[in-house]
Amino acid sequence: MHLLRYAFDEAAASLWRGRRSSLLSTATIAIALFVLGAFLVVTSNLERLAEEWSGAAELSVYLEEDISGADRAAIERELRSDSAVSDVEFVAKDLALKRFKETFPDLASTMGALEENPLPASLDVRLRAATAGGSSVTGLVERMRVTPGVSDVRYDKEWLDRLQRGVGLLRLIGFALGGALIVAAALTIANVVRLALTARRDELDIMQLVGAPASYVRGPFIMEGAMHGGLGSFVALVVLALVFFGTRARFILPLATALNLSSVHFLSPGLAVGLVGGGLVVGCLAGLVASRRA
Amino acid sequence: MIEAYHLSKVYSRGVYALRDLTLTIEKGDFLFLTGASGAGKSTLLRLLLRAETPTEGQLKVGGRVLTDLSTSEVQNYRRTVGFVFQDFRLIPRFTVFQNVAFVMRVLGVDLATRQRKTFQVLKWVGLQHRMNAFPEELSGGEQQRVAIARALVNDPQIILADEPTGNLDPELALDIMNLFRDINARGTTVLVATHDREMIRHVGRKSITLEHGRLVEAT
Repeated sequence: MHLLRYAFDEAAASLWRGRRSSLLSTATIAIALFVLGAFLVVTSNLERLAEEWSGAAELSVYLEEDISGADRAAIERELRSDSAVSDVEFVAKDLALKRFKETFPDLASTMGALEENPLPASLDVRLRAATAGGSSVTGLVERMRVTPGVSDVRYDKEWLDRLQRGVGLLRLIGFALGGALIVAAALTIANVVRLALTARRDELDIMQLVGAPASYVRGPFIMEGAMHGGLGSFVALVVLALVFFGTRARFILPLATALNLSSVHFLSPGLAVGLVGGGLVVGCLAGLVASRRA
Repeated sequence: MIEAYHLSKVYSRGVYALRDLTLTIEKGDFLFLTGASGAGKSTLLRLLLRAETPTEGQLKVGGRVLTDLSTSEVQNYRRTVGFVFQDFRLIPRFTVFQNVAFVMRVLGVDLATRQRKTFQVLKWVGLQHRMNAFPEELSGGEQQRVAIARALVNDPQIILADEPTGNLDPELALDIMNLFRDINARGTTVLVATHDREMIRHVGRKSITLEHGRLVEAT
């Protein structure tokens, strides 16, 4: 307890004495963690978007014009018996035309000018969220394509795959960029701590000559690194929250609506704690490395 | 108390700082180490502080061979030794009181004990009235008294002083030497390295003379 108090007091005093360079190192870690945090906000929301899209993913099985009622019922039974399928709805030609006109009112008159309804009847299949995009659905799609009475099968999988690949790539970029910035921030912290160490060389010599334990010699520098990291990550979190909630109503929510995302979330408590904790750990490690020369 | 057997210290390019030194210092002795600059006085003190290790020979303090000590044992050993430098080595940002209390602070001593012992030792060196002053506000003699107080506050068994009066005028130097005599009178072993033979004569204690690392005279 005495050691912690001593390390804290000395580190706080050192931060204050070297406040200009401390500001620099705190700012670098804040920028690094802000970038990482921003990527985490974006990717976690895109992940939810992918999940919501997966939940809403549909398979459309278009039927031949001359399909018999028995064949249609057989296809519907087969679909319903598949574990990946949540629900099946028969959309007759008339209903398909009605929906088309509702969705695309500008084209309604063009469709009305045609002599007969060009839209095929279909079975709209709602998939279970957990199985959407999975291999069992791909198998079902393949089977349906060769089933007699089926003219075509449309599946949203391609879009889902692209979205998931995009989220993965974005996360990778975020981690790479954030990681590089964190390394740069750690080096800055280590250098600032090393400067503090050089400024206190006389004290350290005296401490070693009087037999001070290594924990008392190095402890304040590790604590100073942790303070830089903790302070920087806290600043990053606050700025990120300010930017997020400040632009939410004007920019983020309209974008989410356009993407059909029901709501947009800030970092989860776990991720926020992880971000600050990560900053503390990076600072600690930088202080530890810098204090090896003590 | 202190036993050196055929002690040698060789620095780079084969330069001997100490060569085949054998001597015994009893507990409670007051001994001057004298000789010209580069004779090996400071090297012997640094070996005694375990800041360096001998190239050859053996150095024992209180029956313990210093080279055999582990890192934590070195720390424990150093807590029994007080060191005084020629240039005082006080911490400028600390007050007199903080400079002296600092030693106990980094050894984890509680606040009440730190305050009591620091005040006692400052009173003993006659500086209790300057305990809130900063080093730059003190004279050279006062600064060296603070340094001595710092060396004493941990109740060491041995005091090592390297040219402690080198930066002081003769009158102040005599004051400091009287302080060392008083410390020795309390039973503490005192080793003072100095090239000031006049001072040694004046204080009138045992001395050994080193020349090019060799012991050439003991009186």
